[in-house]
Amino acid sequence: MGKPTVAFFDFACCEGCQIEMTNLGDEAFLELLNHIDIVEFREAMSETTKEPIDIALIEGSFTREADRARLEDIRRRAKVVIAYGQCATTGGINALKNHQKDYKEFVYGHAAGMPHLASDSARPISSVIKVDYNAFGCPVSKYEVLQIISHLVHGKEPVIPDYPVCMECKRRETVCRYHEGDHCLGQVARAGCGAPCPASGIPCEACRGFVSDPNLASLKKVLREEGGLSERRAETKALMFTANETAGRPA
Amino acid sequence: MNAYFISAHDFKPFITRLIEARRVIGPVAKRNRFTFERVTRAEDLRLDYDVTILPPKKIFFPPVQDLVHFEGERYAGCIEAEPQVLLGVHFYDVKAIDMTDQLFREKFADPNYLAAREATTVVASNVQRVSDAAFWGSIGADVAPKGHDAFLTMIETGYVFETRTPKGAALLEFGRFRIAEKSEVAAADRVNAEILEKCPERIDHPAEAVAKRLWEVFGDEALWEKLAEDCFSCGSCNVICPTCYCFDVQDRWNLDQKSGARARSWDACLTQDFAQVSLGAGATENFRESRGERFRHRFMRKGAYLNKKLGGPACVGCGRCSQACTADIASPPKVINKIMGAAR
Amino acid sequence: MSKNGTVAGMDIHGTLGKLEGAGNIFLPRKAAVLLANDDTPIEKRLTLRLEDDAPFEFSPGQFIEVSLFGYGEIPVGLASSPTRQRSFDIVVRAVGRVSKAIHGLHGGDTLHVRGPYGNGFDLDALRGKNVLIIAGGLGLAPTRSLIQYILDKRDEFKRFTLFYGTRDPNTLLFPEDLEEWRESDKVEYFETVDRATGPWKGNVGVVTTLFQKTKLEPGTKVVVCGPPIMFKFVLRELDSLAVPHQDIYLDVERRMKCGVGKCGHCQINDKYTCTDGPVFTFAELEKLPEAF
Repeated sequence: MGKPTVAFFDFACCEGCQIEMTNLGDEAFLELLNHIDIVEFREAMSETTKEPIDIALIEGSFTREADRARLEDIRRRAKVVIAYGQCATTGGINALKNHQKDYKEFVYGHAAGMPHLASDSARPISSVIKVDYNAFGCPVSKYEVLQIISHLVHGKEPVIPDYPVCMECKRRETVCRYHEGDHCLGQVARAGCGAPCPASGIPCEACRGFVSDPNLASLKKVLREEGGLSERRAETKALMFTANETAGRPA
Repeated sequence: MNAYFISAHDFKPFITRLIEARRVIGPVAKRNRFTFERVTRAEDLRLDYDVTILPPKKIFFPPVQDLVHFEGERYAGCIEAEPQVLLGVHFYDVKAIDMTDQLFREKFADPNYLAAREATTVVASNVQRVSDAAFWGSIGADVAPKGHDAFLTMIETGYVFETRTPKGAALLEFGRFRIAEKSEVAAADRVNAEILEKCPERIDHPAEAVAKRLWEVFGDEALWEKLAEDCFSCGSCNVICPTCYCFDVQDRWNLDQKSGARARSWDACLTQDFAQVSLGAGATENFRESRGERFRHRFMRKGAYLNKKLGGPACVGCGRCSQACTADIASPPKVINKIMGAAR
Repeated sequence: MSKNGTVAGMDIHGTLGKLEGAGNIFLPRKAAVLLANDDTPIEKRLTLRLEDDAPFEFSPGQFIEVSLFGYGEIPVGLASSPTRQRSFDIVVRAVGRVSKAIHGLHGGDTLHVRGPYGNGFDLDALRGKNVLIIAGGLGLAPTRSLIQYILDKRDEFKRFTLFYGTRDPNTLLFPEDLEEWRESDKVEYFETVDRATGPWKGNVGVVTTLFQKTKLEPGTKVVVCGPPIMFKFVLRELDSLAVPHQDIYLDVERRMKCGVGKCGHCQINDKYTCTDGPVFTFAELEKLPEAF
């Protein structure tokens, strides 16, 4: 078998997750190229492809009906589709606007009426096409992406953690944010990042979304009682990266 | 056992010489907490710590550890055992080390754990400051710590150093020790006895009664679901526990995609999918599906299941779980006292 | 020196002395795939032999940890009898990362094994007795080690009955064995499928319907292996036949990750399925509230 072909695509996003791959550094990135053929990656090359591909990494959320056909075309051509980064996996930070009626005026002011800003609610790409695997995170963990690609190269299903960030904090013996009078979302946030934020004294914002069974009622209580957040803040705190996951959930 | 004495004045030079000669792990400050780390300067050693975030099990059973390395057709075990001194272990953690020694050794001896364990000289030290969640004064009181090689107790004039093994006695050469006076040994005994009364938390029931009661209420689903209502299934109470030792095993390839490792990492029975198996065609069976079932399993494990094997509860009263649980539902004194008081 | 201190230190030293070389419980042995056969669309049978033709001693009902480096390890029951020494069989259902990778293996490939682990069937208790084996689906694989054993040492056992139930005729394992057992006078063999397809002329219905085909003699030891749902119905049937619970042996499945009683995933209350089991009597299991 030859090297699998890999292509990056982007929709509504900042393309930071693609940049993250280039942050792997020469050694890792060049070694990776010995095992995959990158055929489209506009962060690093000008070539594009219309051919079938083995692995499509799709960044960004689906926010415009006009993007549907392009997503479907990628799905048709790709053996494996990976929702790449939080915008693609859950709608990510873009989904904040789904709960904000006046976001356009708020963000763009008098330019809000410009036609290129017309968009619908932000949805995960899985709302349009079948997604095989998720590379969570804002941005993705480049080391996890390496593992995901490594596993796919060997025909193995990637291992994506479904336990909370607390586990990773404990494994690296990070002082709990709550023990320094702070708050944190690590109890419900999906691990896999290695918990770098709490280790640097920053609360986890759940940028990889929730674990599959988050106890949100308990979270609200702990944010209020232990984290010192107001009732309203405790209610909305987890929204930043999980607006689509939080909506409609019993909290 | 021989008892020696070293003056407060001579203590720091002893630590300095020890650090120069050996790899030394001891309690050091980390932000507003303490952790066991490699000590490179005597002044970093904080024998006045209350409790460390992680217990010393991490020295013998690291959070992530390679078990097998492979490259193409070749493969080998990766047992590492660097000689080292683990200094400043409180007696409750020594008890926990005794337990993990037994559990890792029974039936199939775990080579990675035991290699690190054997290469380590364990020096216990008296509790100088009591953690606000500690209840070691009232649990497993009849279980004596025994796996350490020496015990260091601070008394008014200096330190009493009681050696228990040749490994412990081998450290004498690094300091100006003399044979301890009877009065000094008595003072050390007093220090270690008195501290037992200083715990802010206690479990007011004998271990056998707790074990019996846990079995009695095992089937009370409503009780367990209520106790676990706020549980995040985060596993913090497991991984910081000095007597928890469950692990997951995963394989990975290195960048070259030819070599790689089979590694184990700490796992936790409180996490949602711990007891889940695949049945095929996407179907799964989770043998401990509810929060209450998983919460119950931890308490059964700590208070009932292992008692016969270990000669006491598999809990040493360190209070780490009480502190680590942000939902504040993990505290053994609170839960056990509640269960013991629950209507029969 | 305190007695305690010295003893603890020496013990650890003594244990480590045995850990060199083959003493590393996590280090597997290489095994050659002699034969790989797709018995069903999702179940592959592999016949294995240890590298260098090293002897492999095990007891019926024990299991091994099978692995492919990079993919991982899974517990698999040994599906052949130690009386057929040269090689050993396993059956792997494609359900996860490791099992799917194993499905890609062919004769001549290699994989890695650790073990044998677990207690296996209590042969001493079965010898000289009537034995009924009830296997459902993939449950035939681990029980085949006992079936072959009994057939090979037929004189040591009295009446031998075998029930085998599976979903449909496409999911029948070990087709050559089934042929042999249907004709054999060494075993009273009864089979059934939940759903008949194709030319199937045999019994249709769940495995408990086979109880109507024969009469269970008092004192019969019953061995059961199958999916959790099957246990429930079979145990109910055995209760109605008043089979004492200590005469019923259940081969259970849990997530036996390490196989050596350490990793904790396979616990049923205070028991480790991998070292205390995987075979338990019903009398033992019914005392464990987490068992069913």
